[in-house]
Amino acid sequence: MSTFEYVLHGLGTAMQWHNVVFVFFGVLIGTVVGVLPGIGPMSGVALLIPITATMTAGLGAEEAATSSIILLAGVYYGAMYGGSTTSILLNTPGESSSVVTTLDGYQMAKQGRAGAALAISAIGSFAAGIISLIGLIFLARPLSAVAIKFGPAEYFSLMVLGLLAISGLAGKSMVKALIMTAFGLLLATIGIDNVSGVERFTFGVPELYQGLEFLTVAVGMFAVGEVFKTILHREGNDGELAKINRILPTKQDLKDSAAPIARGSVLGFFIGLLPGAGAILASFFAYIVEKKISKNPEKFGKGAIEGVASPESANNAASGGAMIPLLTLGIPSSGTTAILMGAFIMYNVQPGPLLFQDHPALAWGVIASMFVGNLMLLILNMPLVKIFAKVIETPTKYLIPLIIVFSVFGVYAVQYSIFDLLLIMGCGLVGYFLSKNDYPLAPLVLGLILGPMMENNMRRALTISNGDFMIFLQKPISLAFLIIGLLWITVPLILKMRGKNVLVNEEG
Amino acid sequence: MNTTFDRYAGIVFFAIGIAFVIGSLGISTSAYGSNVGANIFPMILGSFLSLMSVRLIYETFRKQRAEKSKEQLDYKRFGIIFAAAVLYAFFIEDIGFVISTFLFLMIGFQTMQRGKVWVSLLIAAGFSYGVYYLYVHVLDGSLPGFPAWLGGA
Repeated sequence: MSTFEYVLHGLGTAMQWHNVVFVFFGVLIGTVVGVLPGIGPMSGVALLIPITATMTAGLGAEEAATSSIILLAGVYYGAMYGGSTTSILLNTPGESSSVVTTLDGYQMAKQGRAGAALAISAIGSFAAGIISLIGLIFLARPLSAVAIKFGPAEYFSLMVLGLLAISGLAGKSMVKALIMTAFGLLLATIGIDNVSGVERFTFGVPELYQGLEFLTVAVGMFAVGEVFKTILHREGNDGELAKINRILPTKQDLKDSAAPIARGSVLGFFIGLLPGAGAILASFFAYIVEKKISKNPEKFGKGAIEGVASPESANNAASGGAMIPLLTLGIPSSGTTAILMGAFIMYNVQPGPLLFQDHPALAWGVIASMFVGNLMLLILNMPLVKIFAKVIETPTKYLIPLIIVFSVFGVYAVQYSIFDLLLIMGCGLVGYFLSKNDYPLAPLVLGLILGPMMENNMRRALTISNGDFMIFLQKPISLAFLIIGLLWITVPLILKMRGKNVLVNEEG
Repeated sequence: MNTTFDRYAGIVFFAIGIAFVIGSLGISTSAYGSNVGANIFPMILGSFLSLMSVRLIYETFRKQRAEKSKEQLDYKRFGIIFAAAVLYAFFIEDIGFVISTFLFLMIGFQTMQRGKVWVSLLIAAGFSYGVYYLYVHVLDGSLPGFPAWLGGA
């Protein structure tokens, strides 16, 4: 079958009525998650996993996985839309990738052009979603065809590259990021070793035989940790909400933002492909590029529509781009895609090169649903933006305890264990202290998810080579991955030593 | 940068790394059909973690103590909510989802901001029963119901 036929099949799956409902709820909840302070896309997706698991209980295994992933992916890119609303109306980004949007978006709102800014960010996000989708369609099969030839050594090195890339760009200190990565990988070794069957680091505690569940750790670290931070720092939405007058952008607005949207989308897509460089870097780069090529850069920061159009397109395109390494290589490149990968694994579906062969309906269904979801977001966001803006006014007083309840409910519904519930509280506490002191949490969760795969591939490779570690250097592709990984962490280090400013990804 | 926190975190991570290395020494060194055992991966990572921790501790000594901006943290509110959350997690199976959630929400709402008891009562009751009803009766999920002494299962 040609790619076109696969896409049509995928569209068939995506247009089944229950999947349309799922994508609708996904993008709707995603938008709300993006708007609400205190929950980002990562905690939003993690919190929804158990709920989707129950909602799809009546479907067959593959159908259930398809519908769940469709909903969860919808939450992911929906949150990218929602994040801009608070940036523009309140000068407070709903999630980290909308930080740049505050620069010009809020200025526009102050000038009475909030409606135009919101509309342009919705249109930009839609265009970006479509562009990244086209990229996804064309790159998915060739990439997975290459990846299918990888042996265990290549896979292991690819995962090392992924983790190094995330650590190289995450947070302010690389040492801290590497510590978090190693810690995450170590946590993944707890439990019964699935090759030899011996128990490791369980200390006889039966709850630990299964290992630490990624969902528990992710919900604890991200959702509960964020809640603890809000309580301790007395954070809330005290700012004044800007008024929305006219929603439709003028012709001049559209003309001014068409090129920035196109540039932002393409740039964002390619940055999204890179492991570690998430939506936040994409939006920063897009903003900088726009400012560089603008004829009058002095208007940036004072309400330039280009300063909203380009980064907003870029962060959405990046979330589409980030799906590629996840679907084709089985390597998540950001915190949110790591959690999505956890959801795949929960459904016994292994993302990676074989995904398109073994589960074509799932893979193409999810891709096609992103088109449907983006269209829904555009339709939803243009007329309903005023209603979404109201969501911002949800009092923190009610929101905070409710998020804790959702975390408890979500984890209990999947794990049925008090141990896991107590673990989320512990993880929340640890997560709060770590993130407050600039220890990035995304590498930890990523390590927890990649750990078992990485170890299996390492041991398989070493078994082939009779225990000789040189196998990782003797295979050319594996060597190339390791060299790129090494460069990824050494180049920023050298640049920093020379006194240059290095952009870091602060997502999670 | 909070150097004190980093120093202690470095020590803790160092200890964790060493503990994993020592722990992996006790794991069998080879598995059936393979000469690579379950001990190699945690051993390498444990050593790497302790090495990085040493580097972190070293950095905290090299860097000058940064000016600390004293921020007043709301320990009291946090303490109450955290304790309530732990108790909530601990007793959820004994007293059931609806009652424990209701109690936790009431404490949470009132701790976050006192007053409007009726509104809190209404939201807490509506939410705890609403979620239970939706999840258990509509979606066929499973949650601890009402305790036996209340006639529940």
